[in-house]
Amino acid sequence: MNDGLVIETHDLSKRYGERILAVDGLALRVRRGEVYGFLGPNGAGKTTTLRMLLGLVHPTSGTALVLGARPGSPQSLGRVGALIETPAFYPFLSGRDNLRVLARYAGAPETRIEPILEEVGLAARGSDRFGTYSLGMKQRLGIAAALLKEPELLILDEPTNGMDPAGMAEMRTFIRDLGRGRRTVLLSSHLMAEVEQIADRVGVISGGKLVGEGTVEELRGRESLWIRAEPLEEAERVVANLQAVEQVSRVDGGLRIAADPAAAAGINRSLVEAGIDVGELRHERASLEKVFLELTQQQKEAA
Amino acid sequence: MTRSVMAELLVLRKRTSTWILLGIWTTLALVFAYVVPYVTYLNNPAEQPLADVLPRHLVGELMGGFPFFGGVLALMLGVLTFGSEYGWGTLRTLFIQRPGRLQVFAAKLLALAVALIPFVLFVFAVGALASSAIALREGVDIALPSAALLVRGLAAGWLILAVWTALGVMLAVFSRGTALAVGIGILYALVIEGLLSALASQVSAVDRIVEFFLRANAYSLVTTLGVAADDVANNGPGSFSGPFVGGGQALLVLAAYAAVFLLVSGWLLRRRDVA
Repeated sequence: MNDGLVIETHDLSKRYGERILAVDGLALRVRRGEVYGFLGPNGAGKTTTLRMLLGLVHPTSGTALVLGARPGSPQSLGRVGALIETPAFYPFLSGRDNLRVLARYAGAPETRIEPILEEVGLAARGSDRFGTYSLGMKQRLGIAAALLKEPELLILDEPTNGMDPAGMAEMRTFIRDLGRGRRTVLLSSHLMAEVEQIADRVGVISGGKLVGEGTVEELRGRESLWIRAEPLEEAERVVANLQAVEQVSRVDGGLRIAADPAAAAGINRSLVEAGIDVGELRHERASLEKVFLELTQQQKEAA
Repeated sequence: MTRSVMAELLVLRKRTSTWILLGIWTTLALVFAYVVPYVTYLNNPAEQPLADVLPRHLVGELMGGFPFFGGVLALMLGVLTFGSEYGWGTLRTLFIQRPGRLQVFAAKLLALAVALIPFVLFVFAVGALASSAIALREGVDIALPSAALLVRGLAAGWLILAVWTALGVMLAVFSRGTALAVGIGILYALVIEGLLSALASQVSAVDRIVEFFLRANAYSLVTTLGVAADDVANNGPGSFSGPFVGGGQALLVLAAYAAVFLLVSGWLLRRRDVA
């Protein structure tokens, strides 16, 4: 395994029966210390991938290494904390007792339970049965369980599910803090804003394949300019002849101009001097959501 | 491993169904081993000898309940311990902790093995109290069975419950839940073994098969501890009129059953994906 990689998969696939190929030749590389956003629409293969990384699901083919060890092995699991889908705990046990059970299994000291309950804001309800918790509280207990082992790698699957907006914002800050230092976080989500705000790098999965990967900035691409001008044909001709402009195309009733954003004032001046009315000029950049939709749509069309 | 077993014991101890099963089992044992026979004795001493419900006959009087309703309740304990984990999704929570799947499996089994000890001890303690109370009421000296017989009774009781528990574990793991596992388990205990045992006296080929049944071997084992074959034959829905096998064979067959049930369960748990 590459020293800098915490998760490394090669051609990882999972097939259910003859018809369903949930994960298709996935090559995932998560670097040490980063928050990696794992984006994909429902049914894209995110949770199946995470389950394979935790040894819950056996791959049909391909290989995976988690912290240099086979997924599901004690060497790997002992250093990984995970929250997969809805947190699953014993409903008749209190939150505290549930953590006690897991601490004993994980070989973690039970003295960690109280500080962790405090950290996730459940100290006051720690003695209540898990069955009485709200969905948001269940998510918090799931995070607490994932942190018990002081893991090097956190795998979180939709951790803000069921949380109110304030809880989601708090959880985002919490996850960002967790990702500081040498701890690595693999965060699966279908919420663009969540990933955009937290992740250092993002992988987009669709139809079981990784269809895009990079930093949020890289995925969104370079900033461009968009202008609305009259007459448009004349404006296009003027702009296309400017040295600062790399490319110009008609989009949404205006012109999208690939150029250094600093050239905006110069382009505007050239158009005005050519007697063209400029109604609007703005900087434009694709949102992560748009990139995500384009990537997943391209994959669907290819399939 | 010790901490994993402690974790499972915490779960079993705090689970209401464990105590409900223990309560039902103890109550049934008390009612069928002491209350019903003693009331029968009071009404018709010729039909029910007093000696059966006195402390000296403690082992023989209690062991009759282990192969049948004790076994069915132990089966439920096994089913609930593993089957509920699928329903709650807690199996995946446990499987992503440090130990591997087989260690989680082993911890659960060891915890069940420990939990079955009070299931045997409680029944014997309640039986001892009930029989002593009857002896005092009847003005008879309290004389306990020999320590050796008591130990053999406790061990045989534990083994019988353990085999049924293992069957419950296997059915729960196989069906990944509780409802179907309990249904199949009770169907097997009540109907399949019961019907084939009834046929055994008429068809010799069936007789050979029944000799390897769970209940036949469990009943055979308890008859070596003072349970009368006639009592077993009149044991209500769990009645069994043979064939009986030797104690050694019964012991071996029961141990083999437990081993097979647990090997199959372990293999399935290790091999299957966990949703």
